[in-house]
Amino acid sequence: MSGLGEETGTSLRETFALLGRAFSYAAPFKARFVAKYLLALLSLLPLLVLPWPVKIIVDHAVLGIPIGEQPLPYPEILSGVMAMLATQSPEGIVLILVGVQLVLVALCGAVGTSGNERDFADSMLSSGHDIASRTENEANYALSLTSGLLGLIDWRVMIRLTQEINHHYRTALFARLQRLPMTTFDDESIGDAVFRVMYDTPAITGGIYRIVVWPFVWGGLGTLAALCLATFFPDHPIFWQAGLGLMAISFLAGLPFSGMLRERHGDARREGSNATASLEEGLHNILAVQSLGAEDHEQDRFDKDSWASFSQYRGVMAIGMGIVLLGAVPGVTLLGFVAYSAIELVVYGAISAGDFGLLLTYFIALVAAAFSFGGLWIRLQENAAGLKRVFFVMDLPNEEDPPDATSCPALCEAVQIEAACFDYPDGTPALRGVDLEARVGQVTALVGPAGAGKTTLAYLIPRFVEPASGRVCFDRVDTAQASLASLREQIAFVFQETQLFDATVDENLRIGNREASEAQIRRAAQIAGADDFIRALPKGYHTPLGRGGGRLSVGQRQRLAIARGLVREARVLILDEPTSALDPETEQNLVAALRTASQERAVIVIAHRLSTIREADQICFLDDGRIIERGNHAELMALENGAYRSFVELQSISAA
Amino acid sequence: MSSNPSDVETLASLGTGGTDDRLSFALVLQLFRRSTTLLVPVRKHMALLFLGFSVAGVAGALIAAPLGIAFSNSVLVGQPLTGLEASLLGLGTEYLGVGTEALSSEFRMDVAYRILLVGGLMIAVLTPSLMGLYYYLVWILQRVNQVLRVRMLEQLQRLSLRFHSGSRVGDAIYRMVQDSSMVTKLIEVLFIQPVMALGRHLFGVAFVALIDWRLALGLIACWPIYLALGYYSSRPMRVGFRRARETTSDVTSRIQENLSAIRVIKAYGAEAVMAEHFEKESRTAFDAAFEARYRFAIFNVSVFWITGIAFALAGGFAASRAISEAPLPAVLAITGYAAWNFGVFNLFKERFSDGVGALRSIFRIWANAQNVAIGLDRVYELLDLEPEVQDAADAVPLTGVISGVRFEDLHFRYQADRPALEGISFEAQVGQITALVGPTGSGKTTLVSLLLRLYDPQQGSVRIDGEDLRRFTVASVRDRVAIALQENWLSGATIRENIRYARPSATDEEVREAARVAAADDFIEALPDQYETMLGERGAKLSTGQRQRISIARAVLKNTPILILDEPTASLDAATEARVLSNLARWGQDRMIFLITHRLGSVRNADNIVVLEEGRVRESGSHSELMNRHAAYRRLVDHEVGANARAAAGAAS
Repeated sequence: MSGLGEETGTSLRETFALLGRAFSYAAPFKARFVAKYLLALLSLLPLLVLPWPVKIIVDHAVLGIPIGEQPLPYPEILSGVMAMLATQSPEGIVLILVGVQLVLVALCGAVGTSGNERDFADSMLSSGHDIASRTENEANYALSLTSGLLGLIDWRVMIRLTQEINHHYRTALFARLQRLPMTTFDDESIGDAVFRVMYDTPAITGGIYRIVVWPFVWGGLGTLAALCLATFFPDHPIFWQAGLGLMAISFLAGLPFSGMLRERHGDARREGSNATASLEEGLHNILAVQSLGAEDHEQDRFDKDSWASFSQYRGVMAIGMGIVLLGAVPGVTLLGFVAYSAIELVVYGAISAGDFGLLLTYFIALVAAAFSFGGLWIRLQENAAGLKRVFFVMDLPNEEDPPDATSCPALCEAVQIEAACFDYPDGTPALRGVDLEARVGQVTALVGPAGAGKTTLAYLIPRFVEPASGRVCFDRVDTAQASLASLREQIAFVFQETQLFDATVDENLRIGNREASEAQIRRAAQIAGADDFIRALPKGYHTPLGRGGGRLSVGQRQRLAIARGLVREARVLILDEPTSALDPETEQNLVAALRTASQERAVIVIAHRLSTIREADQICFLDDGRIIERGNHAELMALENGAYRSFVELQSISAA
Repeated sequence: MSSNPSDVETLASLGTGGTDDRLSFALVLQLFRRSTTLLVPVRKHMALLFLGFSVAGVAGALIAAPLGIAFSNSVLVGQPLTGLEASLLGLGTEYLGVGTEALSSEFRMDVAYRILLVGGLMIAVLTPSLMGLYYYLVWILQRVNQVLRVRMLEQLQRLSLRFHSGSRVGDAIYRMVQDSSMVTKLIEVLFIQPVMALGRHLFGVAFVALIDWRLALGLIACWPIYLALGYYSSRPMRVGFRRARETTSDVTSRIQENLSAIRVIKAYGAEAVMAEHFEKESRTAFDAAFEARYRFAIFNVSVFWITGIAFALAGGFAASRAISEAPLPAVLAITGYAAWNFGVFNLFKERFSDGVGALRSIFRIWANAQNVAIGLDRVYELLDLEPEVQDAADAVPLTGVISGVRFEDLHFRYQADRPALEGISFEAQVGQITALVGPTGSGKTTLVSLLLRLYDPQQGSVRIDGEDLRRFTVASVRDRVAIALQENWLSGATIRENIRYARPSATDEEVREAARVAAADDFIEALPDQYETMLGERGAKLSTGQRQRISIARAVLKNTPILILDEPTASLDAATEARVLSNLARWGQDRMIFLITHRLGSVRNADNIVVLEEGRVRESGSHSELMNRHAAYRRLVDHEVGANARAAAGAAS
């Protein structure tokens, strides 16, 4: 199990809640939905017109039946047109109707109603046989029931709407992911996050369309076809009734499978995201993989995960087949019965050959609408699975400002941590009541064995983690009430493991202070001992660094990270083992620089190296989540059997 | 294929196709032909599947055809059944129309009933069989896709770190998930659909020609119009599809990169800026997708315009022929028709519309094929990169006892104008600890990367027992060298699995022993779940120093003759570091250990200390030799000792 996590099992009630929420997501796009809706209804109209030119040509030109002598009368609305056509010769009728058909082709891309005679404007592209590759089409989904000019307009409105919604919500999801507490993210959850943003969000549009647009389009088409059948064949209600029956069948056939489909679709998404995650993790850590010779290991893992995702997809497909089979038994029986009735009408001469074509046209339209309408519910189950994964992230607790957040006042004197406690997620205590004051103008060093809680203590200040109890104050004012942005604005944090962006050196240094001048950047780089090697790069400060700064050595990366912290010009500068990968000379320069920097800042440094610590104004020695000694170097060295003293002596002995 | 660009040279061009179209009609076809080799591994399945579809199809057609004829002739018109039809429907001789001209209405309804019954039975048998066959087809196509995905990963893992530092993880994800899936459309695009459509079209032309050669000409006249449309639209479509793929892959990369660096983004309050970047790139991607699909949609709508016009005109022409009851060619006399009538009109319309419809689907497939081609092209872009480091043709595995490593006049540069190593020479023997010291950026990590063959040197060589390292296979070299990295990576698994990462077959006892050497056993055993402790998001959070010890244990467990420690002890406190190093010294008596560190205190017991500066060996020797030389090493030590002495002085006062 990897990723951001998710509870499993989706009840029917929850499904309704998910769909309702998706529906509410359509609200910002109301106007455009109305437009799409109207266009969709408009695109049903050609269906009313299309069968007639074909019928008139057959009956009155090819078969030569004089207008007025056909078995069934024409509807009222056509009487004017028919009167006009009655004055024409058969050739004239053909000429006029071919003209009408050409206009229909241009406007709505159809000559008649059969498969070869009409077109749908769409842009479905090829996709593979797994969830992820299917979603490209879903994210850009658009379908018009007509083609030609009308179809193109309809299609264009719809694709733009789909894209707009997907864009809106994937941006929102991304922003949401960024606001998750920092500790939520680990290597294995990044691929999962990619999957959710890219491949799960299209479930929102899928859900909305199936709730907002398609029921009305299919319902409209079905009603229209049923009305036509009832109007033109008033003595044979079996046809439109059969339509209703088929709708019920396709709905009912799906029903027993809906819970199962939701689960399997969720599984398929989870496996897909697992595959993405193992891919992401392996490639992101390619240095480790290659160095450790673990290529086969990674390949096997991906092979397994990728195939699991394919298999789950086939599982979903198999359920779909099961539904079709279950529905086919009553459906085919009903269709057979209807066909028998229609044949009876022809055999006993109740309707003409042209009428039979008309009947077939409307009946086929009715059947298509009935299946689509009846199948909506089961298709919605697929969306529910994706929606659940999207909303799960949307609902994760994130870093939020307190309701009446204040702006954190500029730090003047000191940062105080008072009686802070913190537990790791697994329950082991990390901090057990720590008091600390870091004054502006001073360097405070946090020292202690690995696992003592130094980094956690430092994380409390910018609220990367919230204390279980205790307070973090700026000038004795609790910062819990301050907005995160205003708090973090005053803090520059240099992490133990450096992270650089695939951008230029300059952009990387500027990330915390976009308005920094060239001179500021340069000065910060000089202090961090980075200026020399930056200038030796092919394009100096404007050299792109590549992924993760991969073209630099670890020490160089560390110096850039320090420079970045200095560029920020914040009131609090926290450095988590900034010097571990530096040579002694660079380290000494840095220590001097920190001294200078501390004149207007509170500097907090976590370090192991004596040479970094020694100069600090205050040294706090942590062990097992408590500060057990504090004071300056001389004071702590004066303690007989002191923890700090034995720590120093060990280093001195090993170095001497 | 030596003409292929190496992974380094192509960096700049990977994924930046932009607006130029690298493919042409001929290249698209060539691409497809090349891709067919991907289907070779499943050819037996394909053959079986084809057999299955053929049986179902032929059986269906054999039954459906007489039923269809019986329906139109007997049910609709009332002609007697033929013997075959009657036996198929299980009806008696009275339906053969002995003595009767036409069937009675009751008999016609009987026939209709039987036809529906047999039809229903056919559906009952064929639907599940066809579904089964389709399921099989999907399984086959997924296999093809899976093999391609794994091959792409294999290739990515073979490409050098230099490639990876210049490429984006998100791009690789997109290529492996989205681009590679296009391989499943090969068969559709190449074989099934076009062949069937072409067959339908030619049949339509031939049939229509029998009725009226002018109408057949009309059908053929559609060709050049379609071709012109296809000719002028393919390129813009390809450009659009490529851009859509590239921009979407950028969005994928953006998510991946930002979330990997989430800590810095948060610490520096850059969330808003990053969200803005994402917003912009996401929009760009959707705009590009729109542009591509718009071209595709317009192409399809235009194709139907041509189809529809041909339809309407031909229909009108046929109708007027039927009105005038124009005579049919004599060839058709055998069908019983002498002149145009309703039946001929219907027959003609059916064949003509099918003929044009087939053409239409051929061109739709062609349009779709452009997208498939771009996807596959992006797959090959990756597969065709020549890995910078690869096995020589006559490479042998590195086996047996290793007694020494020699670096001989080693030169290496990452970029043409920036030498990283310039003429490094020194030697290391089994049982020795070699320490590499020197300022940041002096080339220490680069040097050991060459020993792992993460890169190959441009000049000079690394020799193991006198043999050039390049003579050995890459995999076997990495098998025999273990490294504990400066920045260590642990995966979201248990501690045990993490330690076993590079040697999954290791026993629990070996895992414990490796942890002991790395001085990690104490803290691991203090955890509630000990070795079964899950690391990662929902698991324990380890400090950097603890993670470093696990990664040392991982390298130790690999049990290789050569062990490299690339500053893995930087985050350890001095006491722990001393313990780790003395454990390693004991453990490494019959091995070679390379130790990179800045802490000079840790290297004084090394057998050989190599001081690097700006890519050159400044000096080398044992601690005491170097101290007596009063040169670079001495200066470094004095620097550190001075600092510590001052600290100690502070302690005394």
